[in-house]
Amino acid sequence: MRIIGDTHFKFLSYRRIALGLSAIVIIAGLAYEFLGPGLNLGIDFVGGTQVTLKFREEPDLGALRSDISDITAGTPLIQTFDEAEKHEILIRVENPEGQEGDFTRPIIDLLNQDLNSNLEGRFDLNLKGSRELIDLLAAADPDGVGNDVETRTLYYEPMADAVLGHRKEFGIFYSIDELGEVEDLSVGLRDYLEDSAAVGAFSILGAESVGPAVGADLQKKALLAIGFSLVGMLVYIWIRFQLPYAVGAVVALFHDVLITLTALAVTHREINLPTVAALLTLVGYSVNDTVVVFDRMRENLRLHRGEDLEQLMNLSINQTLSRTFITSGTTLIVVLSLYIFGGDVINTFAFVLLIGIIIGTYSSIFIASPAALAMNKLLTARRERRRLKGKR
Amino acid sequence: MDSKILWRIALIVVVVGLCIWSLYPPGEKIHYGLDLSGGIHLVLQVQTDDAIKAELDDASQRLVSRARDDGVELGSTESNISDLSFTVEVPANADTAALRRVASDWVPGYKATPGVGKWTFRLPPNMDRTVRDLAVRSSLETIWNRVDQFGVAEPVIQRQGIESDRILVQLPGVDDPARVKDLISSTAFLEFQEVVGGPSPDRQSLITGLGGSLPSDSEITPGDREDLEGRVIGTEYYVLKKAAIISGQELRSARRSQDQYGQAVVNFSTQPHAAEKFGQYTGSHIGTRMAIVLDNKVISAPVIESRIPGDGRITGNFTIEGAEDLALKLRAGALPATITYLEERTVGPSLGRDSVVRGVRAAVAGLLVVMLFMLIYYRMSGLNANVALVLNIIILLGAMAYFGATLTLPGIAGVILTIGMAVDANVLIFERIREELEVGKTVRAAIDTGFARAFGTILDANLTTLIAALFLFNFGTGPVKGFAVTLSIGILASVFTAVFVSRTLYMIALGGRERVETLSI
Repeated sequence: MRIIGDTHFKFLSYRRIALGLSAIVIIAGLAYEFLGPGLNLGIDFVGGTQVTLKFREEPDLGALRSDISDITAGTPLIQTFDEAEKHEILIRVENPEGQEGDFTRPIIDLLNQDLNSNLEGRFDLNLKGSRELIDLLAAADPDGVGNDVETRTLYYEPMADAVLGHRKEFGIFYSIDELGEVEDLSVGLRDYLEDSAAVGAFSILGAESVGPAVGADLQKKALLAIGFSLVGMLVYIWIRFQLPYAVGAVVALFHDVLITLTALAVTHREINLPTVAALLTLVGYSVNDTVVVFDRMRENLRLHRGEDLEQLMNLSINQTLSRTFITSGTTLIVVLSLYIFGGDVINTFAFVLLIGIIIGTYSSIFIASPAALAMNKLLTARRERRRLKGKR
Repeated sequence: MDSKILWRIALIVVVVGLCIWSLYPPGEKIHYGLDLSGGIHLVLQVQTDDAIKAELDDASQRLVSRARDDGVELGSTESNISDLSFTVEVPANADTAALRRVASDWVPGYKATPGVGKWTFRLPPNMDRTVRDLAVRSSLETIWNRVDQFGVAEPVIQRQGIESDRILVQLPGVDDPARVKDLISSTAFLEFQEVVGGPSPDRQSLITGLGGSLPSDSEITPGDREDLEGRVIGTEYYVLKKAAIISGQELRSARRSQDQYGQAVVNFSTQPHAAEKFGQYTGSHIGTRMAIVLDNKVISAPVIESRIPGDGRITGNFTIEGAEDLALKLRAGALPATITYLEERTVGPSLGRDSVVRGVRAAVAGLLVVMLFMLIYYRMSGLNANVALVLNIIILLGAMAYFGATLTLPGIAGVILTIGMAVDANVLIFERIREELEVGKTVRAAIDTGFARAFGTILDANLTTLIAALFLFNFGTGPVKGFAVTLSIGILASVFTAVFVSRTLYMIALGGRERVETLSI
């Protein structure tokens, strides 16, 4: 079977259109990022606190927002997380001045106060940790195990773990009756908990807090990682091929990263550490694609000496076109699968790769080679001038 | 079959066998990162300025009290952290020679600068570094001891960099961030307590020894039983008075030193307000034992030899390391510096589990579609590529298990991406073989040239991706590092399977036949 057969497209003839189109997108993107709304930098890079909560019933986002904005500096970001019927929400706030990386507790305390007042001090199975439950049970001793605290602790520990294991599995206790579904609980303990414990309105799925110092640090590291890998590739391609090709590949990389960043900015997706990892993967993927084309050019240069470079480039791109499409296709399939099935946590990661692969494929055909060609012309012209000067 | 093929098959079987062996059973062998297993990730900063302040205060107090013993009365002192010095008021008629002597004996290393009515003592830069380093190290020790109470499997507690004042704490499976933070940053876990009975290897004999019941003002506290070389050989129990003589907050400093016989000892000093209390107690209890209790565990129970005023000395059969350890623990109990939290991440296990399930679903879906495509597009050669792809995944997971690499959420994405990119090498080879067949080469020649030509391309293309992965590893933290590892192993594994394994499969398929007319590609 064959999808793309023997093709003879004159790709490089379209280089002005392609370069112009890309330039417009990139400039518009940069304007959007620097003059407009800008990139949505996550707490990894700017610091702040991010809490993911699961509610028993559908939460009122407006009420939450006005609640939380009372105790934070900027406007809190509150949005649903994952599928709406899961009642999971994400809260992101800037830390107030002086609160280095520790702002989870005030938020939780506030929500607890507002939403869980009906518990009247009963033990909240949705909010408390396993140690607290063990301590509670060891103190109350519903099964009458004995007077030694250590023995009681050992006795109640597995049951406490089982109770919270249920919460861990489902994310939340929807009702206190779910205690009946937890296995390995003694009757006395179940009765005791049904009396003296309760299920609060929400549970914590995750909480992250990053101080501004660490944020700045992570930002620096991310930029260094991207910078160094670009330089590393430039040098590698320079050694294995020639300077014009290295320049072509790196121009294509900048192109891909900038356009993907624009896509992230326009869709308001958060840029965090995994996003940077995805961007770097995209860098690796895109250069991989470009190198395959350049490799064929190198070979063709040897086979057809003296032929016009532009012609050779067109030939090489056509020869590798089938491979380019198949590889991009298979990678796109899995990334699409990740994008659809991977869930909310990994969705932005998959989004970057999705956009990146499409742009990367485009750039290895329409950007990298024209850039290499232009660079080559530049270098040849300079060499020519120098030669003429030498003659004179 | 010729020996070359057998040798290749043997190598593949060994590699894959090794990977399956190190992978089995997969649930236990693959380490989940914190983002998948759930747990707590903390980065804390030790405020080492506190330790410098304590050192300066300590040195100035020492100088004043020792000078007084030698008949030199000094005035008030003031510590100044910004230029690492303290000043002390020196009356005009003071005996400066005696003061210099006291200073060189009791605040060694400090550079004394006499001034008008006031002397300045400056901490040298190397001591500045030592004090800060010590503060971070003893904080690390304290945190270890306290986190130990949680009984966490595989906690990570480490300094971020050699000279850094940041400490990374990772506790998989722990779900009480508030409690962990309370425990870590609390101070008073060190106490000096009176020993009523013990040590004894079990609790019961202690209670029997006390006439059958434990007095209400006493408690039983465990401690490590050590042999003569200081190795822990078991647990022993002490009966201690509940009321502490002094607590860790009342302790100011502790350091390893030597007595006049060259024996290692630990010197410590208390805060000024506790000195009198401590001196009174020790004076009236000479010859009895006093337990030093850290986090509810007896770490040492020395015999009181004399009245101990503000400065004391613990002697015992210490090795140098033993004395250093004890000093560290005493300092640890005192927490040399406040701790602030820079970064805090709690991941609930349900979120992680959800991600694993979805990741696996995405991987399987992607894998099936890619395999189907390869089969339709390249037919038997596609089957060859699919075998290579499956082996690639086995090798990737096996290598991760073998090297103890951590699977993180982006790491799962890395595995999935590997599936997509792994067939790339095969595609390059197959397309090349097709081209060679088109120009009229025989099947064998086409395969040979196809592999040979494609290899250079594969090498260049993958090395560049590897460069990106290496920098990702170098600058990345946590989940991102895990991703870089997965990606790198995936790249190496795909080169092996696509080039070596696929070639071998062709050899096996075509090996038996005399003439090969067609290739299913």
